[in-house]
Amino acid sequence: MSVSAPRRIRMVLKALSLILAVPGVLLYLASYFWGAWLLLCAIALYAADRFLAVGSAVFGSEARKLLSRAIVPVAGIGSALLIGAVIMAITGYNPISSYGALFYGGLVRNWHISVLNATPLIFTGLAIAFAFQGGFFNIGAEGQYYIGVIAATWMGLGSTLPGIIAIPAIFAVAAIAGAALNAIPIILKVKTGAHEVVTTMMFAYVVRTLSPMFIRAHGGDPALTSHPYTTDLISESVWLPMFKDFLPGANYRLHIGVLLAIGAAFLVRFILMKTDLGYKIRAVGHNPVAAMTQGISVARITAASLFISGSLAAIAGATQVLGLDHRMFQDLNAGYGWNGISIALLARNNPIGIIFTSLLWGVLDAGGQYMARTTQTPNAIIEIVKGIILFLMLAEVIYKRAGSVFGRWAGRFKTAARKGAGA
Amino acid sequence: MPKSDESPLVLETRGITKRFDHIIANNNISIKLRKGEIIAVLGENGAGKSTLMNILFGLYKPTSGSILIDGLPVSFDSPRDAIAKGLGMVHQHFMLVPTLTVTQNIVLGKEPVRLGHVLYKRARRSVVELSKRYGLTVNPDARLEDLSVGLQQRVEILKALYRNARVLILDEPTAVLTPGEVEELFAVLRNLAADGTSIIIITHKLEEVKALSDRVYILRRGELVGECRTASASAAELANFMVGRDVVLAVERPAPRPKPEPIFSLESLFVHSSRGLPALKGVDLAVGRGEILGIAGVEGNGQKELCEVIAGLITPDSGKILFKGEDVSRWSVRRRMDAGMGYVPQDRRVSGLVLPFSVEENLALGRSDRPPLSRHGFMKFAALRAQALQLMENYDIRTSGPEARVSTLSGGNQQKIILAREFSRNPDFLLISQPTRGLDVGAIEYVYRRILELKERGVAILLISMELEELFALADRIAVLHGGQVVFESPTATTNEAQIGEYMIRGRYERSIS
Repeated sequence: MSVSAPRRIRMVLKALSLILAVPGVLLYLASYFWGAWLLLCAIALYAADRFLAVGSAVFGSEARKLLSRAIVPVAGIGSALLIGAVIMAITGYNPISSYGALFYGGLVRNWHISVLNATPLIFTGLAIAFAFQGGFFNIGAEGQYYIGVIAATWMGLGSTLPGIIAIPAIFAVAAIAGAALNAIPIILKVKTGAHEVVTTMMFAYVVRTLSPMFIRAHGGDPALTSHPYTTDLISESVWLPMFKDFLPGANYRLHIGVLLAIGAAFLVRFILMKTDLGYKIRAVGHNPVAAMTQGISVARITAASLFISGSLAAIAGATQVLGLDHRMFQDLNAGYGWNGISIALLARNNPIGIIFTSLLWGVLDAGGQYMARTTQTPNAIIEIVKGIILFLMLAEVIYKRAGSVFGRWAGRFKTAARKGAGA
Repeated sequence: MPKSDESPLVLETRGITKRFDHIIANNNISIKLRKGEIIAVLGENGAGKSTLMNILFGLYKPTSGSILIDGLPVSFDSPRDAIAKGLGMVHQHFMLVPTLTVTQNIVLGKEPVRLGHVLYKRARRSVVELSKRYGLTVNPDARLEDLSVGLQQRVEILKALYRNARVLILDEPTAVLTPGEVEELFAVLRNLAADGTSIIIITHKLEEVKALSDRVYILRRGELVGECRTASASAAELANFMVGRDVVLAVERPAPRPKPEPIFSLESLFVHSSRGLPALKGVDLAVGRGEILGIAGVEGNGQKELCEVIAGLITPDSGKILFKGEDVSRWSVRRRMDAGMGYVPQDRRVSGLVLPFSVEENLALGRSDRPPLSRHGFMKFAALRAQALQLMENYDIRTSGPEARVSTLSGGNQQKIILAREFSRNPDFLLISQPTRGLDVGAIEYVYRRILELKERGVAILLISMELEELFALADRIAVLHGGQVVFESPTATTNEAQIGEYMIRGRYERSIS
């Protein structure tokens, strides 16, 4: 039995929820941890709004559904950490102090590094997920990331335009470059059926090998610097704004790229779920034969999907240059493109989920470094934990099987108990 | 030569029934197999032959009924159990490893082993012995990928014999063989039977049944409709059994229009299959407004290519597809749809629906990019919902709601979604393939009624079906597709099922059948 509350109350709740959520997110990302309270209030208000909208019964079932969906990831991460602890104990490290350092470092002390780590991962994760929704495996996101870095550096070097014009232009050029890199794989796929896994990966190596030439041409001189060579710095006018510009307590390196990334996640979700293009991409992803039979051009959808995917990966690179590096390093050793695959898999290609899995990866990386510095527990253990998390997530089917067997047992037990009680 | 009824029973099924969610694949099937006997299980595609064999081989568990071996009831949890009881199966698609040798393939999984070491020489010796004993000559050291298909099949048979199979089940054994290889296979099988092995062959080819088997069981729509000694039945009788003589569903068919205005036609259409072989060899057909032209034929005689070429998924090698006077053979799928051509594909789960999508999303396929369903590239979900609710009402689609995933619906409701989508486009021409496959009688009746309604409205319909009853119930004219050609065409009123059946199976018609 539910009574629909007046519309006005719900609108106020919704507005308040949004008003609290935005600063909450901003503050929390900038290491003002009390922003979490604002976020919690926003979530409570949102829940209240849902409750008024759908009534208690539906609300209950929605909440249960949400919880049950969270069980597998949470249990997976928990078990992975547990296994990691066992490995530490066996190899002679103290799991408690190591994990203490990991979480203190990743979530509190160096939270800004976690956020910086997560930023490009969100973009590359989105790139992989977007292609995957259309049934394509853009495994060469690493190459598109590199081309984004090159494009952004090239545009940024000696730019004299004001940032408000130059930055969007740089992003646009990087996106086009990333898309263009996928043009040949797309043509090969559509015309000859060559698999994009192979072709995009080949291009990743091509671009990676080209990058030293670019660096040499734009300032990289091994004779002058002991550093692995880098290009000159890009003009300060095209640097992304920093959090500390409006929140003085924020770390000086923390740039607003993470906000762009979160925005991109919502945009990708919107494209996939609310536009005709997204609908067609999902249709082709699930059943290309049916889509073709209904007059959807699979070639065109393939192209659109891989172009957008390439753009997203390239924007990851551009964000990194404009926000953090302000130059291009040779041998970035970033692997953001490859890691994006794990991120997308872990989030099951859900754009919003990608924000969280990227942050998780960011925390594990930043916290792992802090742990290695302070407790001498090797960072490699964190790589192992990451691997186990991935494995457990992908082995989800095992839990489902175990769950249904357990459910049957429980059911039998219940009926037996009932019979016993009745007798 | 027929075995006497005194030979002991080796295998028997009693009242086997297998039910998948909404489909009864096997209904109360009882068969008997004696020692040294060759029986054939005859039936069209989808008649339930493969289901029955998979039950015998332990791949499926029957919903009810029992299997007896040597008179004792058995229960198979997996093929392993079936093999242990002396059953061997030769699948249509061989289960062999191309890079291993013949010997390795035969012993794989049951190798002679000492201290974890495979005794290859001993394995080779038993393979040589086995092939000598049954006259199945094959080089034991040849790599499998170097062998012809006929020899590969021989390896499959040896594999079963190596596992001491007393009952050999062969699924469509001649589908992949050349005529010469077929003769050799038959000789081998006769030898085996003379030696005491019992054999079941599954087939839809009448000639093979006549040539090889002692007895034949005929399946249709999951039911056993006949059993007889092969020697005592004529090919025509078997054909009638197989395709069904009596019209189950009597629908009132409106009289054909006297002279329908032709709207769709094919002119000497040549198409090759995806494997590069000629599939349609000069097909000419014409359908008029308000007319239903039925295409009869055993599956695999060009129906698939005919559908694809008309729908626009493949382009013909030569010939014309004329629709309203224009050659549409090079048009895109979309352009054909917009011009008024519709297509209800045979396999709704593969080419008709996007199974993980909801009902409303599936109903939007093919028109999602234009008003009212979307505007400037943005989907209008309210319009999607409204369209779904209306079509669900008009076409009696029963679901928990427009958001239900179509994968959870029954076959009948899935088919209604496709019909709703195609029919509501108001086409002038419709290609409908196998519209009732796997549906229950109620749903079949509904589909028939809808198709006849369209005909009344003046739509030209090309109906492809493997079910003769269906064609006789609906079509004004019937054409028979055999070997990629139209070998016969006649108004429904002036032909009969025996004649069509004969054309379907032999491609020709002779009054007296040997």
